[in-house]
Amino acid sequence: MNPLTEQTRASMAEIIHRYPHKRSAIMPILHLAQSVQDEITPEGIAMVAEVLDLTTAEVNAVATFYTMYKRSPVGKHHIGICTNTLCALLGGDAVYDAVSERLGAGHNQTDVDGTFWLERIECQAACTHAPVMTVDWEFMDCQTPASAVEVIDRLARGEMVVSTRGPAIRDFQATEHTLAFPDDGLAGEGGEADAIMLAGLTVANQRGMSAPPATAQGA
Amino acid sequence: MPELPPAVRGFGVTFKTMFKKVVTEQYPEQADRFPPKPRFHGRHQLNRWPDGLEKCVGCELCAWACPADAILVEGADNTDTERFSPGERYGRVYQINYLRCIFCGLCIEACPTRALTMTNVYELADDNRADLIFEKSELLAPLLPGMIAPPHSMVPGTTEKDYYAGQVSGSVPEQEPDGDAAIWFEKQGYKA
Amino acid sequence: MTLAPHQTSVQPVDTVTVSVDGIEVRVPKGMLIIRVAELMGIEIPRFCDHPLLDPVAACRMCLIEIDGQGQPQPACAQTVTDGMVIKTQRTSELAKEAQEGVMEFLLLNHPLDCPVCDKGGECPLQNQAMTVGRPEARFDEKRRTFPKPINVSAQILLDRERCVSCARCTRFADQIAGDPMLELLERGAQQQVGIGPDAPFDSYYSGNTIQICPVGALTSSLYRFRSRPFDLVSTPTACEHCASGCALRTDVRRGVITRRLAWDDPEVNEDWNCDKGRFAFLYTADGRVETPLVREDGRLRVASWPEALDTAAHGLAAARGRAGVLTGGRLTREDAYAYAKFARLALGTNDIDFRNRVSGDEEAQFLASMVAGRRLGPTYSDLDHAPLVLLAGLETEDESPIIFLRLRKAVRSHGLRVQAISAVRTRSLDKLQASWWACQPGNEAWALRQIIDGPQGADALAGLRQPGAVILIGERLAGVPGALSAAAALADATGAKLGWVPRRAGERGALDAGALPGLLPGGRQVTDEGARAQVAAVWGVRSDVLPSRIGRSSSQVIAAIRSDAARADADSEPAVQALLVAGLDVEDSPEAGAFRQALDEVPFLVAVSTHHNEVTERADVVFPSAVVAEKAGGFTDWEGRVRSFGPAIRESSSVADGRILAMVADVMEVPFGTGDVASLRAELDSLTPSTVTRAAAPQVASSAAPTPESGYALLATWRLLLDRGRLQEGEPHLAATARPTEAVMSRATANSLGVANAATVTLSTARGSVTLPLAIGDVADGAVWAPLNSEGCALLGIGATYGSVVRVTGGAR
Repeated sequence: MNPLTEQTRASMAEIIHRYPHKRSAIMPILHLAQSVQDEITPEGIAMVAEVLDLTTAEVNAVATFYTMYKRSPVGKHHIGICTNTLCALLGGDAVYDAVSERLGAGHNQTDVDGTFWLERIECQAACTHAPVMTVDWEFMDCQTPASAVEVIDRLARGEMVVSTRGPAIRDFQATEHTLAFPDDGLAGEGGEADAIMLAGLTVANQRGMSAPPATAQGA
Repeated sequence: MPELPPAVRGFGVTFKTMFKKVVTEQYPEQADRFPPKPRFHGRHQLNRWPDGLEKCVGCELCAWACPADAILVEGADNTDTERFSPGERYGRVYQINYLRCIFCGLCIEACPTRALTMTNVYELADDNRADLIFEKSELLAPLLPGMIAPPHSMVPGTTEKDYYAGQVSGSVPEQEPDGDAAIWFEKQGYKA
Repeated sequence: MTLAPHQTSVQPVDTVTVSVDGIEVRVPKGMLIIRVAELMGIEIPRFCDHPLLDPVAACRMCLIEIDGQGQPQPACAQTVTDGMVIKTQRTSELAKEAQEGVMEFLLLNHPLDCPVCDKGGECPLQNQAMTVGRPEARFDEKRRTFPKPINVSAQILLDRERCVSCARCTRFADQIAGDPMLELLERGAQQQVGIGPDAPFDSYYSGNTIQICPVGALTSSLYRFRSRPFDLVSTPTACEHCASGCALRTDVRRGVITRRLAWDDPEVNEDWNCDKGRFAFLYTADGRVETPLVREDGRLRVASWPEALDTAAHGLAAARGRAGVLTGGRLTREDAYAYAKFARLALGTNDIDFRNRVSGDEEAQFLASMVAGRRLGPTYSDLDHAPLVLLAGLETEDESPIIFLRLRKAVRSHGLRVQAISAVRTRSLDKLQASWWACQPGNEAWALRQIIDGPQGADALAGLRQPGAVILIGERLAGVPGALSAAAALADATGAKLGWVPRRAGERGALDAGALPGLLPGGRQVTDEGARAQVAAVWGVRSDVLPSRIGRSSSQVIAAIRSDAARADADSEPAVQALLVAGLDVEDSPEAGAFRQALDEVPFLVAVSTHHNEVTERADVVFPSAVVAEKAGGFTDWEGRVRSFGPAIRESSSVADGRILAMVADVMEVPFGTGDVASLRAELDSLTPSTVTRAAAPQVASSAAPTPESGYALLATWRLLLDRGRLQEGEPHLAATARPTEAVMSRATANSLGVANAATVTLSTARGSVTLPLAIGDVADGAVWAPLNSEGCALLGIGATYGSVVRVTGGAR
């Protein structure tokens, strides 16, 4: 595990400057700590608390509430497979089972050598492309058990894998860094919304539908 | 029919009674000829689990229920080296004052662990007050075969819930007073 | 931020008309529904709601129906609006069903611990499950369990599976105490109260969370399994630990105190108290003086009461006019008054002093002029409404914790500004968002003068001139020449209210009772003939019986004994023939060494004491007296408010000091009265309100603190709330939550002393040294802070006190 350095502290200070109140910066700063250490450690909690003038209990509360903060090392890649309603209907559980078998890991566990972290994730708002898998929070749309296992195999061999929406997969720590510093210049990578995503809007436009006016009661 | 003189008539009752069944009990010479009914409210008993640990958790609900204020309980913590009951708490002090007890049995109904029950023993007379306040040592049920006198550990691998679920059927060698309990005995100045 | 002056007149409030369960009421606008129902006597079940905490609607127990709103609403988070029609569970099936459902949910994972749970018998969950819960549970799955209990601090234990996630404890820690070290962790079914990694909940107010926990999730190491609520006999009492004046409830089981709780007193401590008041009561058990003792052939032996009374009476009678009385700051006002009366009537002396601490003539004059015998004020309520509070020589969290809570409440509710003249920017100042005027210890007088006529003081001066502004000064300013004079002058110049905050619970009461060389009860001066006549009339004696010369202070008495002994002239009469000492600790004295020698040298020493200590072991006669829990009495808090209490341990046969003195006086044939609490209180109360001629405020010029030479620093120090104080003995769990014993100085000071890289520093005086871990913090340059009386750091023992110059050397890292 990498130690937190003065450089990390300086980066944290940089994030704090984005917000009117120090404590508002807690979530990106936790992602930053996770990008360095691959998990949220007591050391990380202590540093975050220190830079934000919070108690470690307050930081602990946030770090344990949100599932994106991990309390054991994630490894090189985070694999998330949605098994919520639509993905489940379209085979999400089968994808999960296949990947789980391939990795020999269950929910919130890593494989034997600690490279992959597997997690059943909640809805990613990608129901149009169900069943969906995420690799380091990048979308792999419309997966089958075979395609998902293939993605894992290629990542395991160190091959370049590209998200079905464009961006190249880097690794978990790089994603975490992006969550701390979203302005990494990669926002343009990947495509526009495709026809499936916009299907509903297209139909609505064709039929001249519009949202009902807001009622006075709701205002 | 002429009336008999009243003095003689009075003996009629005597004669009739002579042929009735005798209800007098020869107590104490023949006390065991007339045992009390099974549900007779007699002296209390503090029960044990099959391995000898005490069932009493020191909750004092018996004392609370007692209309005669005859029961005194003080709870305390079990520790790893000094365990008297499964779980966290046990009754360190347990006294029943038989000068006050009215044998109503409300304490039995209040007991959440069935630690306290009543026996059929009714011979509770003494010549002084102090001896009629029964201590925990007098109230505890005798050790049956398979039981070890506390303090000792729970059966290894079990929790208090297993005791309540009836999963513990007796003591095991690991609970013998050569492990944790031996330390306690040593501390108390006993020789194991 | 605008600072509206405190409105003293009653303002008309906007009201709204609402109907609750068909009853129409007019209530102030903005009230919470649950409070309105309370006022009407309608009880809505609740767990998370607490009148002193912000609403959170976490437990959902208080759901009620409001006409026009489809879903049930939480009564604890909704304010009333005009025309609102509210139906509680009494009249609404919807509300009733909603509450039953919530209760069923809360009980899903709640363990069947009631028989072994400390809360069982006084548990809101138990009670409300009986009143609003369904009789049958439908849940037959496995319950969620946690290993239990876990320590959130050495004192506070947490059973997570009992928790209903009401967030009372976390909100208390954050909002009231300002110590958000307790938080809700995890989520969903795993949600649990917890702390940060390796960061225990060591708040001075942590015990309150146990009291407000509506289930048995939080318990104390001290009380766990000690008794059940129905065993306890409860007595309303007052706290003996400091001058905050908390109302407490003391629970006793068969003559033994099992716990103490904060008692609701909205005027003083509201619902809260500090951990010292809550957990430090075990001192009453061990080391007690149990019988009278008399010295025979150099050894103390057990004596009968008549024998001890005789011996004491003869020794004291022989010393009439040449006896001193030292009472200490821990006595109840009635007992202090008994000593004041006994000194004047039986010993014919004004040599009585309650100040077993740094003190002086300037302080005596200040107290006579500004504090003694005055009616209430400034009060907690004044703090609530003040626009500005200036603190000088007072660390509120350590020295008067309830003042801190009140200040924090005012800061949160209406933006009170707190300014502090202090050597250290302490955690409490941060929590009060106080502006910190760094002031070297000993420079407070100069700093206060600066506000009056210095160039930097204009802003503060204007602030203090606002109506309602308050100046609070601590007792340690007695050791800074000119500081009390400057504080009095500042209050005079601005019209701000001036509050003197002593540390010990009995100091203000002893002052009002006349336990000072220049004062009679009620702030009357001994030199004032009219005042003496008033007192003599109450005491039923001729007024010329009362000594008219100002007596000697404690340090003067000690000095007199020392010089008597030094003369070694057996023929001449000693200036002090006898000494009567009440419950005080010699080591609290700034001149403990001299005090000890004086106790050895004084020809006749009578000790009235609860515990064996350095005084009793040197005494010729020792009387056992009752601790606070065993007697009736009263303390006067820093406001001047009398906090009377009855005996908590009614089984006790111990005798209070006042009664002992009456028995001695009886043998001496001095008209003293019976000395029982009721008669002492009645006499004292009859002497309290008066038109007395007051002494003028002291006019001591301020001087600057000495400039320490290289290698030396000025010592800033006070007693931490939790330290090695005598009344905290016997409670290791409490002691384990104390703040660390360390020396704190600024980076600049550490650099100039050459200890910046040291792990430890040694503070030394001519009399000894202490070695402490070094911490860098916000401390005035040239000063070092260390606790006065903590484990491994007894500074009085090395002759160091506030403002002393100490040598600072670094230890190896």
